Amino acid sequence: MRLLAVEDEPDLGLLLRDALRHAAFTVDLVTGIQDAEDHLAVAGYDAMILDLGLADGDGLALLRALRRRGAMLPVLILTARDAPEDRVTGLDSGADDYLVKPFHVPELISRMRALLRRPNAALGVVLQVGDLVLDTAARHLTVGGTPLELSLREMALLELLLRRQGRVVTREAIEQALYGFDAAIGSNALEVLVHRLRRRLAEVGAHAAVHTLRGVGYLLAEGT
Amino acid sequence: MKPASWSLAPRLAWRLAAVLVAAIGLAAIAVGWRAIVTARALDDTALQIQVHAVAVHLATAPGGTPLLDLPPALETAFHGGAGDNVFIITTPRDQVRLSSDPAAAALIVPYMPQTDGLFRVPATPAQPEGMVGFVTRFGAWRVAVAQSREQSEVLVRSLLSEFFSTGLVLLSVIGGTAALIGIWTVRDGLRPLRRASVAASRVDPAQPGRRLPDADLPAEVAPLVIAVNQALARLEAALGAQRRFVGEAAHALRTPLAVLTARLDALPESPDAGLLRRDADRMTRLIEQMLRMARLDGQPLDVSKPVDLRAVAIEAISMLAPLALPQGIELALREIGTPAPLTGNHAALVIGLTNLIENAVAHAPRGSLVEVELAAAARIAVLDRGPGVPAAERKAIFERFHRGPVGHVKRDSQMRGATGAGLGLAIVAGVAAAHRGAAWVEGREGGGAAFVLKLGTPADGAEGSCA
Repeated sequence: MRLLAVEDEPDLGLLLRDALRHAAFTVDLVTGIQDAEDHLAVAGYDAMILDLGLADGDGLALLRALRRRGAMLPVLILTARDAPEDRVTGLDSGADDYLVKPFHVPELISRMRALLRRPNAALGVVLQVGDLVLDTAARHLTVGGTPLELSLREMALLELLLRRQGRVVTREAIEQALYGFDAAIGSNALEVLVHRLRRRLAEVGAHAAVHTLRGVGYLLAEGT
Repeated sequence: MKPASWSLAPRLAWRLAAVLVAAIGLAAIAVGWRAIVTARALDDTALQIQVHAVAVHLATAPGGTPLLDLPPALETAFHGGAGDNVFIITTPRDQVRLSSDPAAAALIVPYMPQTDGLFRVPATPAQPEGMVGFVTRFGAWRVAVAQSREQSEVLVRSLLSEFFSTGLVLLSVIGGTAALIGIWTVRDGLRPLRRASVAASRVDPAQPGRRLPDADLPAEVAPLVIAVNQALARLEAALGAQRRFVGEAAHALRTPLAVLTARLDALPESPDAGLLRRDADRMTRLIEQMLRMARLDGQPLDVSKPVDLRAVAIEAISMLAPLALPQGIELALREIGTPAPLTGNHAALVIGLTNLIENAVAHAPRGSLVEVELAAAARIAVLDRGPGVPAAERKAIFERFHRGPVGHVKRDSQMRGATGAGLGLAIVAGVAAAHRGAAWVEGREGGGAAFVLKLGTPADGAEGSCA
């Protein structure tokens, strides 16, 4: 995976580059918009990390120009601007994610991985949490290396939670994804499904668990 | 609170009254003096005429005695009254030769001057007012006429009483009217000032841009109001600069802190590295809160958009669940009824609720439940099973940089470092105030604390967004 990092603070840029290389990404570091344009013109990148306040202009201008040209590569904004409206502006300009400085490097790496897992990124993504590995293309699930068979609904729920692992997925989002808008579902259909999935995972001693946030939704995380 | 003050209108009234009394007094003195002068002039003229009237009929008899043959009318005038008018004929050495009243003449003669002219006789038992006379020389004789001063006194008195009975009433009416007009003018002229003071009482650093109304001001008062407005503008600029500084300082710290965090993240795992990361996180948290506070302070929050409190709660809970779960703390949302439609600021409410949940998670024991309770009447409560907040501290914890006693901080909490900034609850209070609501903490049955965020802008009765 080849990344372009646009960051004009030299220390931060180098730390980022080293950390991302350590996480097995190929990273090109540039410090300005012009540099970034030049690199984007000659090399293909899988994703971009973009600082907003750059010496030769606003990173948002670069992002908008990129999207106008139809470039689909995932972009993560890295910025010191943290007002809610800044976040909205950033996402409206075509960013896929938004991380406010200061941030933890592992957080940045996991978000980059999540971005690269998105549908418009490569197909055949392998999702993983704890000892649970799901090949979404092959619909193949293993727990600690042993294959585990799940029903279609259970599999769909697990994939949904896996794609947003470590984050809350609301009941509404799950119901919509699993049952569609129109299907009349029983009020506790989702509870029953979650209960079944939990039992299946517990039976094989999976090192990952579905947590309930009553009234809100569910969260899949490492641990039991 | 109220300083010893004086009032303009009564003071003006008193001063006008004093001037009026002085004017009336001066006028009375002038009138009286004029009356006296006039009476004297009248005396003078009348007495000269009388002297001449007597002298015309005077002749000298052979043998050197004066011979007076007065017509009956004059005779009556001098002898008819109560001896008020007296004529005296003397030698040049003032020896009385002839008089209408010898007893009176004896009293009068010593006061006659050597030269011709007017003279006065002091009061005597017979003439309590004294007398006034005129003497002139005719041939070998001096002829004098004297009369009681009573007559001129009467004239003066009647003139004065005339003045007091009509003039004084007139002056009083004019003066009273002037005083009333004065008071009314003062009251009326000061009305804009009263408006200005009402506006001044509403000046609040949380709502910059408020100015005293300077329309329709009298020229005497306008400079004060304009000067106050200019002073407000200067203060506001200074306050704004200070707030911007807080915001900019916090903002400027982000980049070096990002470098520090990245460097710490690059360190190999060790207990020391963990502690350093926690310290850096704490600084990050403080800076975030300072920025939020500066933002809340800096500009009036737009609380006019419809908000869905349920969405607010779900967003805040979702944000914190990944932090709470590793600490064995479960988060849940409980809805009691459907919340009334509400206007407010979604982002600010999420921040406020996030701070409440963070606070609860930081104090809740491992394995416990932190509940967000959404009640119908625009009321969000965050309930924990922590140690609770002592009654004495319930107000103070919402103040900026308030630090609770050390014992209240859960020592083993991973979030301890992330919460100790002392701004989180102050931000909650700020968010509540911006929504015309309030934030407070209550005790909870069975132990723990209930932090309540109550909002005061139901969408129906919305009166705009001024908080």
